Amino acid sequence: MNVIVCIKQVPDVDDIKWTKENNLDRSNMLSKINPYDEYALDFAVRLKSKFKEAKVIAISMGPKQAQDILNYALAKGADRAILLSDKAFAGSDTLATAKILAAAIKKYCPDFSLILTGQMAVDGDTQQVPLSLAQLLKIPELTNVFEIRNADKNQAIVSLKLASVVNIYEIVTPCILALNHQCEQSYIPKIDDYIRAQNIPIEEYSLHDIGLDKNEVGVIGSPTMVYRAYRPETVKDTKEIKEDYAKRILDFLLKVDNK
Amino acid sequence: MKKISVFGEINLKDNKIEQVSFELISKAKSLAFEAEKLKQGVNYLVEAVFIASYLVDDEIKKAYKAGADRVVLIKDSVFDEFYSTVYANAFLEYFEKKPSEVLLFPATIKGRAVAPRVTVQLDTGLVADCTEAEFILKNDNLFFAPTRPTFGSELMATILSKKMPYCATIRPGVFKSEFKYQDSGEFEEYIPVSYHEDRIKLISSNSEKNRESVDFSSAKVVLCGGYGLCENKSDEYYKKLKKIAKITDSNFAVTRKVVDFNLAESKYQIGQTGSSTQPKLYVAFGVSGAIQHIQGMKNSKTIVGINIDENADIFKYCDYKIVADAKKVIDDLLDYFDIKQ
Repeated sequence: MNVIVCIKQVPDVDDIKWTKENNLDRSNMLSKINPYDEYALDFAVRLKSKFKEAKVIAISMGPKQAQDILNYALAKGADRAILLSDKAFAGSDTLATAKILAAAIKKYCPDFSLILTGQMAVDGDTQQVPLSLAQLLKIPELTNVFEIRNADKNQAIVSLKLASVVNIYEIVTPCILALNHQCEQSYIPKIDDYIRAQNIPIEEYSLHDIGLDKNEVGVIGSPTMVYRAYRPETVKDTKEIKEDYAKRILDFLLKVDNK
Repeated sequence: MKKISVFGEINLKDNKIEQVSFELISKAKSLAFEAEKLKQGVNYLVEAVFIASYLVDDEIKKAYKAGADRVVLIKDSVFDEFYSTVYANAFLEYFEKKPSEVLLFPATIKGRAVAPRVTVQLDTGLVADCTEAEFILKNDNLFFAPTRPTFGSELMATILSKKMPYCATIRPGVFKSEFKYQDSGEFEEYIPVSYHEDRIKLISSNSEKNRESVDFSSAKVVLCGGYGLCENKSDEYYKKLKKIAKITDSNFAVTRKVVDFNLAESKYQIGQTGSSTQPKLYVAFGVSGAIQHIQGMKNSKTIVGINIDENADIFKYCDYKIVADAKKVIDDLLDYFDIKQ
């Protein structure tokens, strides 16, 4: 059973700095694996402990630095790591990204049972890539997956938690599952794991390798484009309350009640 | 005639139209007016497309009243269960026959599952989770220009599409539904080629006890505790705030970080990944003002912020600011109630 995990390197959104021109200030920026993708990775690795023949393949599209998160995935227990990197990929929107991932998966790991992804990336938060990939690969999907209870070559049993309801689904493979909850058994790699990971070379593929046309990817292949970007500003005439804090808050509460 | 189509969402429990559908229909109507003003001779029809096993007349009327010129019901009993593949196929089948220039989907779980499938199939762009939308005129051409928060809402990006149809998912609760139009219009019932999703099966569905959701949409007063109320990993002050909320008949809420640290249940979370709320009064106790949180409460009528850090981001959004230890203010508030009781 092959389990593909799509991972993305994202800036640490808690630590974003902006230049005056509204560009990301990448100079001091920390990058990390998108936390939701780590949930997916954890579930994938957990499946390995259940089924000895399960293989986990981590895939990331991004610049060379994305090797860092692929090495991390290998240390966590992935068996293969694939980096899709090409200057032509830069500026890909969700449609172009899904096309790149779909082409790479078809060529380099076509016999997969599951594709696991995070529900969203914390930088973009479009949640569109898993669904787009599902449509391109003509497979079913479940999103907002809370837990993968079981999975084998033929099917997966997963639970979704929406509002106050827990739904349990059986889904036939191959399929895509987008995780939105942390796996309870998250494994923190140890030094030995990193050493073992070093012996697994990261497979790197370009636009040419995956067999797409340059008009299908990157800025050219992306139907959407940013027309303008601005930082949201709120201009509020804020009054400061300098004393009797609790009393004043009570006044506010009473005023609302009387209306 | 050109069309703006809204993918209407329906509650499968009672086959009533979800509020967000009306919000999108009213927004589409005002977009149509905007387009007509920007460019002479342009006319957009607003079409609401519902995928359901049935829809009663009263519900359809509401769609017209919200601004739909035309209502389409894609009808089949298979739609009683939601599968993105089934809904997307049905929508695409109808769309092929009656294409539109603009497609709006709600940025709900269902809308965000159907929209990418539809747009991938149409090989066009999709702008996610928009909080603003307008038409702009460029070189005498009208472009649909939705705007979305990105990078954890630190940046707003207006995004155009090079391809048609222009598609976007629109965040619920952002635009107002306005039931001010006439209550009738064109109607079409469309019976699609039946398509079943036999690869996914619901095995069980259980309501979790003690995890009932909190309805923040009609809250009048919200008292929100941020991570600033946490001391030595204790949830003491969240409990105290909850008590105040109970006494004052207000809604207790928290920020994401508080939930992440298991100091309160996720049903109380306000913000991008939690609930949205627009009460008359919103009091933030020890809330730093992360933009994800702001997204969920910024439309509140009066916002009061209490934070020990006078430079806290929350103050940028406040009508009233109090630079103080929110824990102390909570204790003082409780003292008031003790005296009263």
